[in-house]
Amino acid sequence: MLELKQVSRHFGGVRAVDGLDLGVKEGEIFGLIGPNGSGKSTTVNLIAGIFPLTSGTILFDGADLGALPTHRRLQAGIARTFQSIRLFGQLTVWQNLWVAQNSPADRAKRGFYARWLGGQSGVRAEIAQLLEFSGLAHKQEELAANLAFGEQRRLELARALAARPKLLLLDEPAAGMNSEEIAQLRERILSLRQRGVTILLVEHVMELVMGVTDRIAVLNFGQKIAEGTPAEVQASPMVRKAYLGGEAA
Amino acid sequence: MLDFLQAVLDGVLFGAIYALIGIGFTLVFGVMHKINMAYAAASIGGAYCGLLVLQVMADAPVWLVFLCAFASGGLLGYLVYLTCFHFIPLSSPLATLMSTVGMLLLIDEIIVHSTDGRPQNHPAVFDEVMLRAGEFSMRGDLLFVFAVAVLCMIALLLLLYRTRLGLATRAVSQQPVAAQLCGIRVARVNALTFVVTGLLGGGAGALIGASVGTLSPLLTLPLTVKGLIVTVIGGLGSVPGAIVAGLLVGGFENAFQLFRGVTERDLYVMLLLFVFLVFRPGGLFAARGGRD
Amino acid sequence: MDFYYGLAQLVGVHTLLGLSAYIVLLTGQVSLAQAAFFAIGAYVSAMLTVLAGWHLVPAIGVGALLGAATACGVGFPALRVKGLMLVIATLAFGEGVRIFFFNFDYQIAKGGIKVGPLGGEGFRQIRFFPENGWSTAEVMLFIWMFALLVMLMLWWIDRSRYGAVLRAVGEDDMAAQSVGVNLTAVKVSAMTIGGAIAGIGGGLYAHYTTHIEHSSFNVLVATFAIAYPIVGGLSNVLGTLLAVIFVQGFLVEGLRDLGDWRNLLFGALIVLAMNLRPRGFLDAATLAGIARLFGGRRA
Repeated sequence: MLELKQVSRHFGGVRAVDGLDLGVKEGEIFGLIGPNGSGKSTTVNLIAGIFPLTSGTILFDGADLGALPTHRRLQAGIARTFQSIRLFGQLTVWQNLWVAQNSPADRAKRGFYARWLGGQSGVRAEIAQLLEFSGLAHKQEELAANLAFGEQRRLELARALAARPKLLLLDEPAAGMNSEEIAQLRERILSLRQRGVTILLVEHVMELVMGVTDRIAVLNFGQKIAEGTPAEVQASPMVRKAYLGGEAA
Repeated sequence: MLDFLQAVLDGVLFGAIYALIGIGFTLVFGVMHKINMAYAAASIGGAYCGLLVLQVMADAPVWLVFLCAFASGGLLGYLVYLTCFHFIPLSSPLATLMSTVGMLLLIDEIIVHSTDGRPQNHPAVFDEVMLRAGEFSMRGDLLFVFAVAVLCMIALLLLLYRTRLGLATRAVSQQPVAAQLCGIRVARVNALTFVVTGLLGGGAGALIGASVGTLSPLLTLPLTVKGLIVTVIGGLGSVPGAIVAGLLVGGFENAFQLFRGVTERDLYVMLLLFVFLVFRPGGLFAARGGRD
Repeated sequence: MDFYYGLAQLVGVHTLLGLSAYIVLLTGQVSLAQAAFFAIGAYVSAMLTVLAGWHLVPAIGVGALLGAATACGVGFPALRVKGLMLVIATLAFGEGVRIFFFNFDYQIAKGGIKVGPLGGEGFRQIRFFPENGWSTAEVMLFIWMFALLVMLMLWWIDRSRYGAVLRAVGEDDMAAQSVGVNLTAVKVSAMTIGGAIAGIGGGLYAHYTTHIEHSSFNVLVATFAIAYPIVGGLSNVLGTLLAVIFVQGFLVEGLRDLGDWRNLLFGALIVLAMNLRPRGFLDAATLAGIARLFGGRRA
C-alpha cells in the first residue's frame, strides 16, 4: 500500500533521511524503530507531506504522492497523530472530532452546505461511534485542554480516525504511558487492524512495538539498517549495535 | 543625478535613526517573540522628557538634554515592560499586543496633554555647520545624528556580544526554557532588554528632535510604522539587519521624496516593504530557523 | 434623545468594524487592515450615491463587494506571512490605502458645485440621509439592522462546523492541515468575509457622518477594530458588542465628565483590561459559567 523508494530528506548538511526504501503492505501493522535522531519522525512527516522530499518517491496505492499538500493526503486516506499532542485545546472533545469530519466518505454523503454550515445533528452518529471507541463519550463537552494526559492521547487517535483513513501513521503514541495504558493502546491498535486500517507505528516503547507489529524496520542515521519480524529484529547484531553502541562506546 | 545622490546621502544619514528604532523593535522581538507597539511612542516620550531639562535650566548644555532623554527612555521602557509584559501570561499574545497598543495611545495622549498639543522646539547640534566633500554637501546636524547613532549601535553590539548580560539575552532569545535551567533569570533579562532598548529609543527620539528641530506627538504613529517596516525588511530578530534596513529605508525615502514629493513618499516606502515580503519574507538577514 | 441615537449609530458602526476583525482573528490572523476595507466601503458607496445617484442599499452592497474583493486579494499573500509579521504587513497595507485616499481626487460638477473626494480635504456632502428625509432614529435603526444581521450570521457560523474549523486553524494550523483542512480556503474565506463586513460598516459610516477623509481610516481606527474583539473576548460575538459599548460608552461618558481626558482613558483602559482579563471580557470560562447559570445548555 505504501512504498518509499530511495527517499531522502536533507536539512542543509544534515541527512535526516538518506536513501530509504520501505514497503508497507495493506492490512499490516508495520513498526519503525531506531535510536533518537535516526529519522523516524522525519519519515512520518515526509509521508504526511509536511516537508517536501529532497529526492526519491513515495507511492501510495500505486500513485506517486508527489508534492501533494497535507490536507489532500488526508483526502487520499493518510492520517497521522503527533508525537507531542496537538489537539485544538480551546475546542471541546466533540468539536475536535467534528473538525476532522473530512473524509471522502463524508463528502459523498453530505453536500457542501450541510458539511460546512449545517449544525451538529447530521454527524452525531459517526462522532458517537468514535467517542465510544476511545472511551471519551462522558467527556464530550470538555475542552480538550482540560483532559488528562491519557485522555488527550486517546482523543488524538480518535481525531485521526475521524477521517476514515486507509493508512494511519502513529508517531510515538505510547510516550508517557504506563503499562496498563499501553495494553489498552495495543488492544485498540489491533481492533483498528480488524476494521481494515493499515498502520505504520513509530515507537520507542518496545513493549508495544514487539507485541503488536507484523514487521519492523530499524533506522539509524536516516538509513534502514534492518528489517524483518519482531523476532528477527530483536536478534540482529546490527540493531543491538545501533542501540547500544559499537566497540568505541 | 547629483541631486539624487545628495538626497540618498542625506537620507542615509537620517536613516541611522530609523535603524535605532528598528533595533529596538527587533531586539524585543528576538528575545520575547513579541512586538512592543509602544516603542516609538516611548522614544518620543523620552525625547520630550529630555526637554524638561530646559524647563528647569533654561540654558542647559545640549548633552544634558540628550542624557535626560536617554535616561527617560530607559525608564519608560521599564514601565512598558511592567504594564504589558510582566503580568500578562505568555499564553495570551493577543493581550500583550493589545496592551502595548494601549500604552502607545496613553503615552501619545500624555504628551498631547502636557504640551497642549503644541510642537516643542528641540535644540539642534551643529546645525550651522556644512561640510563639503567634492560635489556633495553634508549637513552638520545630520552628521552629528549619524555619528551619535553609530556610537549607540556600537555600544549595543558591544553589550550584546561582549558582556554577560548580552550573552544571557542571546541565550534567552534562542531557548528561554533552557536558559532558565542554566540559572538565567529570564524575567530580569526581559526587563533589562526593555531598559536597554528604551535607552536607545530615548536617544533616537532626541536625535529626531535634533535633526528636525521640533518634537510633536504627530511623529509617533509614522515613526512606529517606519520602525516596523525597517524591522521586517531587516529580518525580525536581527540587529545587523535592522541597521542595514534603517539606512536603506532612510536613503530610499529621501530619494522617493525627491521624485514624487512628500505626500506620495510614504506610499513608495510601503511598496518597498511589499517587495521584500514577496521576494524575501525573512528579511535581509533572516533570523535562525523558526521552531514551528 | 438625538444624542443617544447618535451614540447608538456610532456603536453600531464600530460593532461592524469590530466584527470584521473578529472573524479574521478566529483563524489566528491578526489583521490591521480592516480599517482599509472599511475605507474602501466608505468611499465606494459614497461615490455611488453622491456621484452616480444610486440608492443607498445597492451602494452599500457594492461597497461590501469591493471590500470583500480587496480582502480576498490581501488574503492570499497574507498566507505567506507568519504571525507578528502579518500584523506589520497589514498595518503597512492599511497605511498604504489611507495614503492612496489622501491623494485621491475625483470630482464632478453637480448642480453648480463640485462634489466628490478631494485628496486631503476628504469627501464632503455625503447627503443621502438628509436629502431623503431620514430622521436620526431611522438612520440608527437602519445601521442596527445591518449590525444585527451580521451578528446573526456570525453567531450561526460559530455554531456550524465552519466556525469550529476556523477556530481549529487559529489554535494549531498544522494539526488542522493534518485532519484535512484546506488552510488556504479557510484563511482567505475568513479574510474575505471580514472585508465584506468592514465594507458594509464603512458604507454606513460614510453616510451617517456625511464627511469622510483619509484620517478617518488611520492606524488608530485599525487598532480599534482589533481591540474590540480582543478586549471583548473571542469566544462569542457578544463580547465584541460589549467591548464597543464599554469603550464608546465610557469614552462618551468620559467626554461629559472629564472633558478632554477621554483619550487618555482609552489607552489606560486597554492596558488595564488586558492585565486583568487577558482573554477578554467574555472568555471561554466566563461563557461556560453563564451557560451553567442558564441550566447547562450546550454552548
